[in-house]
Amino acid sequence: MFSSACRAPARFVSTNAQSSAAKASSALYPFSKTALIPPPMPGTLTPALQKGKGLMQHLHQNLFTAEKQAMMKQLFSRKSPTQLRVGSIVSVISDQAPTVFNGVLIAIRRRGPDSSIRVRNILNRTGIEMQLFPNSPHLKEIKVVRPPPKGGMKRAKLFYLRDSPEKMSMLAGGGKK
Amino acid sequence: MIGLKGTLNCIDNSGALLVECVNVLKNKVNNGWGSVGDEIVVVVQKARPVSAAAQASVSAVKVRRGDVRRAVIVRTRKPVRRADGSYIRFDDNAAVLLNNKKEMLGTRIGGMVSADLRLKGWGKIVSLAPRTV
Repeated sequence: MFSSACRAPARFVSTNAQSSAAKASSALYPFSKTALIPPPMPGTLTPALQKGKGLMQHLHQNLFTAEKQAMMKQLFSRKSPTQLRVGSIVSVISDQAPTVFNGVLIAIRRRGPDSSIRVRNILNRTGIEMQLFPNSPHLKEIKVVRPPPKGGMKRAKLFYLRDSPEKMSMLAGGGKK
Repeated sequence: MIGLKGTLNCIDNSGALLVECVNVLKNKVNNGWGSVGDEIVVVVQKARPVSAAAQASVSAVKVRRGDVRRAVIVRTRKPVRRADGSYIRFDDNAAVLLNNKKEMLGTRIGGMVSADLRLKGWGKIVSLAPRTV
């Protein structure tokens, strides 16, 4: 699954993750230190499951960790009181570079585990936009620094902010960053 | 996605301001696209006026309008995918001029660059940049 993609960002992986992965791989596969061994999937493997019955339900419950599932529900469920709202200022903490990315939440794309958010910021006079996937194991936390003004914005997607830096600075500066 | 006729801002202190892409070097064909970290051939469309003192000095880099140089793309408006699945997109296209030996022509970089440059082997540029994201 990750075979070729894992090589390049090896430098980004924190040293703790690297040493624990090395120990695990040598224990399970003593013939090579660089063998990539995915973590074992939770949930029992029944004969029915091996035939393919109830596969999607099994995946739905076990593919992602319970903490990640709770985090996704808390961020994206429309009934959640702490759901992400467009127009809020958020701070995203991740394992990879950039480790902390602050900015305005301009779009929320709800697709179950593939849900993503777009965060926009202006640094060094250039605008940067990142599309981040909270279900990724690299993404640690999304902190809402400031909720949207007047409880909410009039649009679901704030792409108009790309063309008006004045409105961006009003959103950002109406309060403290 | 920078290809033929794509314009980029030049963010180093070589003197060029706006450059236009003429060829993307990683592709063997003419109609390819370049992204962050790719080397391209550019024509300088706008440059800062070269002062008389700079003209007289031998060591100063003189980049004039119409020069054909090499450059590396450091920012693109097209989203670039990172290994963890996230995408990053800047509001403009930017490049840094190089010589034929992949060394920078300027000495300073005035603006942020993408962190994907490090993975493609442009560590020198990443270290000179005031900010990488």
